[in-house]
Amino acid sequence: MKLLSTVILGNAEASNRVMFGPHTTNLGVRRALSDKHIAYYRRRAAGGTGIIVTEEASVHPSDWPYERAPLASECGPGWAGIAEACRAHGSLAVAALGHSGGQGTSHWSQAPLWAPSDEPEVNTREIPKIMEPDDIAAVIGGFEEAAALASESGLDGVEINAGQHSLIRQFISGLTNRRGDEYGTDKLLFARESIEAARRGVGEGIVGLRLSCDELAPWAGITPESAVDIAGELASLVDYLVVVKGSIFSVPATRPDTHVDAGFNLDLVRDIRAGIDAAVPVVAQGSIIDVGQAEWALGDERCDLVEMTRAQIADADLVAKAATDPARIRPCILCNQTCQVRDNRNPTITCVVDPRAGHELDDPDPCPSVAPSVGGIGGTLLVVGGGPAGMEAARVAAERGHTVRLIEARDQLGGMVPIAAAGSGREPLAAITDWLESEIRRLGVEVVVGRPASAAELADHDGPVVLATGSIAGPPPGRLDGEAPLTAPVVLAAARTDRVRELIPEGSTVIIADPIGGPIGVSVAELLAPKGNEVILVTSDAFAGQMLALSGDLATCNGRLANLGVEIVTRVKVVSVSAGSITVEHRYSGESRTIEGVVVDAGPRLPDHRLRNQAGVSATPIGDCVAPRTIHEAILEARRAVLAL
Amino acid sequence: MSGARQFRYLFEPLKLGPVTIPNRIVFSAHLTNYAQGGLPTDQHVAYYEARARGGAGLIITEEHSVHPTDWPYEKMIHAFKPEVLDGYRRITRAVHAHSTPIFAQINHNGGQASSMYSRLPVWAPSPVPDPMFREVPKEVDHAEIAEIVRGYAEVAARCVEGGFDGIELQCSHSSIVRGFLSPATNKRTDRYGGSLENRSRMLHEIVAAVRDAIGPDIALGVRLCGDELIDEGTRIGDAVEVAGALERRGLIDYINTSIGVATASLFVIEASMHIPPGYALFIPSAIRARVDLPVVGVGRFKDPLQADRAIADGHCDLVGVVRGQIADPEFAAKARAGMTEQTRLCLSCNQECVGRMGLNRWLGCIENPMTGRESVLPTPVVRDPARDVLVIGAGPGGLQSAISAAAHGHRVTVVERSDAPGGNVRWAATVPNRAELGDVIRNQLVECESLGVKIEYGVSADLSLISSRRPDVVVVATGSEFNPPYWLPADQEARPRSTDVVSVLRGLAEPSGDVLVVDLLGFHEATSVAELLADRGCNVEIVTPAMVVGQDLGITLDMENWWMRAEAKGIRQTTDRIVTHAAPGDDGRIEVGLMYHLTGATETRNPDWLVMSLPPRAADGLYLELKAAEGQLGIEVHRVGDAVAPRRIHAAVVDGDRVGRVL
Repeated sequence: MKLLSTVILGNAEASNRVMFGPHTTNLGVRRALSDKHIAYYRRRAAGGTGIIVTEEASVHPSDWPYERAPLASECGPGWAGIAEACRAHGSLAVAALGHSGGQGTSHWSQAPLWAPSDEPEVNTREIPKIMEPDDIAAVIGGFEEAAALASESGLDGVEINAGQHSLIRQFISGLTNRRGDEYGTDKLLFARESIEAARRGVGEGIVGLRLSCDELAPWAGITPESAVDIAGELASLVDYLVVVKGSIFSVPATRPDTHVDAGFNLDLVRDIRAGIDAAVPVVAQGSIIDVGQAEWALGDERCDLVEMTRAQIADADLVAKAATDPARIRPCILCNQTCQVRDNRNPTITCVVDPRAGHELDDPDPCPSVAPSVGGIGGTLLVVGGGPAGMEAARVAAERGHTVRLIEARDQLGGMVPIAAAGSGREPLAAITDWLESEIRRLGVEVVVGRPASAAELADHDGPVVLATGSIAGPPPGRLDGEAPLTAPVVLAAARTDRVRELIPEGSTVIIADPIGGPIGVSVAELLAPKGNEVILVTSDAFAGQMLALSGDLATCNGRLANLGVEIVTRVKVVSVSAGSITVEHRYSGESRTIEGVVVDAGPRLPDHRLRNQAGVSATPIGDCVAPRTIHEAILEARRAVLAL
Repeated sequence: MSGARQFRYLFEPLKLGPVTIPNRIVFSAHLTNYAQGGLPTDQHVAYYEARARGGAGLIITEEHSVHPTDWPYEKMIHAFKPEVLDGYRRITRAVHAHSTPIFAQINHNGGQASSMYSRLPVWAPSPVPDPMFREVPKEVDHAEIAEIVRGYAEVAARCVEGGFDGIELQCSHSSIVRGFLSPATNKRTDRYGGSLENRSRMLHEIVAAVRDAIGPDIALGVRLCGDELIDEGTRIGDAVEVAGALERRGLIDYINTSIGVATASLFVIEASMHIPPGYALFIPSAIRARVDLPVVGVGRFKDPLQADRAIADGHCDLVGVVRGQIADPEFAAKARAGMTEQTRLCLSCNQECVGRMGLNRWLGCIENPMTGRESVLPTPVVRDPARDVLVIGAGPGGLQSAISAAAHGHRVTVVERSDAPGGNVRWAATVPNRAELGDVIRNQLVECESLGVKIEYGVSADLSLISSRRPDVVVVATGSEFNPPYWLPADQEARPRSTDVVSVLRGLAEPSGDVLVVDLLGFHEATSVAELLADRGCNVEIVTPAMVVGQDLGITLDMENWWMRAEAKGIRQTTDRIVTHAAPGDDGRIEVGLMYHLTGATETRNPDWLVMSLPPRAADGLYLELKAAEGQLGIEVHRVGDAVAPRRIHAAVVDGDRVGRVL
């Protein structure tokens, strides 16, 4: 595999062409890197990644973009720990360095933002200070000092951020640089000076550059065409170039969720690589989660390395498995649910499909197949339910050498996941239950499908029982006034088998009642609108998909809904509902409105307690049958329950 | 007249069971986000100590969590961990040094939480998802209820060990006990659900367990919600019944009150200036009519007179003054001394206190730069030699610079071009319901006066004036100015009938008829001017490129009020539009082109007037001129506030405070 071949970066050689890119983790302690950071990167190095780029550190205290944003001057000990950990496993480690400029916030620093011009930050509308010459010199000095510290700490080099959230890109771009001085007439001057400063600081080490090559704002921003010249000029100053996408107007475009195709930057990176003269290794970035796609991109000479960040959050052993059995790689499902943590709440980075990510110190897991459980668990483990919780429980137990039987009432495994994946733009979700199924079959779990488990069977079972029976439909969103409405899972399940028309006649109006504002209601709307139905989404919020802000799909989903002609009825509560009609009341004017059509309830569900409540059943409940939530909680609880047996 | 005589009730000591409090001013429980790793910090210690030193009658700390399943926000105190003891002792020692009693509020937020931090299922009476967190909770079984009750008792005992004088059970606006009490969230059919007696069962179990754990010498109070303001929620009748039942059992010493549900109707809990003071007094009033226990009233008490009056009128026995003491830690001491004109009045703007809580940031204050930074910012000391400081501009940035410089012993003169202080705040405070914003200027002028700052009005500063005055230091606080957008024709003749928010508020432009307000700021600017014009009979539409008009109103809890007022006043709100052009139109009207940026579809509007609420630019001409001549003039030059970058009041105040500290 070309992916696994070595590559030269400056004066160093990476053992393979897979990069673990820089990203926010919230693992820090105040503005320093922590032992959790070291453990997090060590785990990926142990999994074989070629080069690790650590979480970006601000090169100057004027930049404090999120509470735990590392500050370079406080990163020395953390960088040293990471350097040592990575070296031990043969991975290169470089520090991402940057300054967020006008894309930061003053809330932590209590001081003005610095930027080339006074373009407000798009989301917060905070107006930055136009940098004075002393400010520019201070940041450039910061790049040199930070690079020197990274080098002294034992890292192999630094990577300069001119991608998303970067002052350098703000200087390069006409969107954000309207200066009249030499930094405005020569928009690359600041970038060159910053890179050169980093080069002075880092000595013999690597200097990489992450560059936005498409700001998706062609009226003044960097375009794929102009990026060729920009990249060409800057590439000659660096040892590698990472091609990314996005601007202040398109922050989520840099690492979008399932709604954007995997490998969406592979044409862009090809064009940039072909367009620049310098013989600099070029790194492809952008939802690359599949080893096959990565290998293809390398083979097609689109790039020289591949950044697979989320894929290695999902499976730290991606590179090791790529060498032996790529099918065993636990798939990233591009959900952004728990790894997109540049969020005021400071969530600790973790992974929906591998909750150990980010928790390497408090939830360590030496490769379970080589560390079988010491004691027995007293017989066969019986798992009831073959959704993500049940299958993860079976998988973890089987990996630890236990005998496992899994019973699933439906004909197919997967539970709610394949159903959710039938929603528009949600197809990648199914990869996790497909993977769990292939793993439990590989591990020899006895799988029984197509019949429900009985209480008597459970009571008679000689061994522990884990209940993962999932959820049932919840109460209607308002007073029930007739026949109950359809629920979102019923519609999605029908869509899987192309039977939507049996539920929703052609030409009928569909009203989706969405009290959650998550991906379900929106994906049902997007599924039905192209089929010719008039679709109305009803929410108590001011816009559709409120909770999707967390995964970066809020603005984009509203764009998709608008283009599909979906009507959004906002700020209402549901008064009454039936299968064919819904009456809503405006929360602030009190005005009421009745809409006739097929109603789909996308609201919360209830746990399925039926088996658990039967006499004689003693079992550990996990996942939705505890409380219906997401794949993440299902997998987390499954693992925890099995380890506690 | 000393305050003790001016206020007949406020300074009468009162017994709360075993604890006597010196006056009726309570620094009630409120989140601070000062905790780190689940433990109290020095930031807490200094914050509470400042309010104790300032004369508060009773301090009740922010909530402490009693169980690991309760972790709704990152910086919560994890009282279920024994490690909190050290922090408890440091807090109580610091507060007791001023002879001020301090109680700990303990709580479990129940279903008003997510599992994100805890990685454990959220526990609640019934699987009803919270309207804000939207996570389905686990319905607690009887063993889990017993576990929570035990958690309360253990934590209460730990609080006593940590030196607290009392315990308050938050059963009011974000609590599993509230969840059990409220028919909206308790759908159970066992002995904990159904009748009010059943719904109260967990509360009484907790009270009994806590009293048992703390003994008779520690005060115990319960905070109850009098009206949840949600469908099917608890209302005043139930609250009075619960209070009566608590009194009958004889285990508690006082009742605190509250209104609203934190995750559904927060805007009434921490009401902004748009809701009149005393709005929640009907709750303690009704409860006090039933019980003899002392009752605490809350709800936007800004000055001691209101507080005294609430007691005099029989609504309550104690008054919670939170934001008043966030803004001025010496609220009580100044009242006692009869110096109420010196009180730094809270604006109820919610920008840096409440507004930072939802964003997981430490609690501060728009006008008090020390709030939350008591442990890190030194108290000003007089510098030697004193310097002559000339401040250009008497907006909030200029005035704070003057205050800070004068507090460090410098001789300060402020020159202001116009005939009055306040900068843009002066105008922002003239619109409906925003008058209290102007108190920031009133407060700053009071401080300037007591520090001997000289303010000259009607003086335009330029290079020659500054060099003739020969100051050692100039602080430029010249504010900001309208920045014409690219879509507005540069040629005045080709411009449509248009103006900006400040000009409307100043009366320089008087829009009439159909008015289109274009908003790129997302705060009070556009909504204020829209209301003002709607009140004057205009037909108003606001357009914004954002997904919602007034995006930041949610942060300060002004969104719901705004929506209600906008609906009532017929103000239309149009989102996701950007302006493409603006020009004179037919029939004396104007033409404004809009693009719906989600699809690219274009539209036009033909209003009579266009009002622009757009990012201003720094009025930095004088600063740049001075900076270029700094060496030659021999004057140290600084700038603050909007003249650096146009921002909000707090940024100007912080800039001003910082400048004084470096002189």
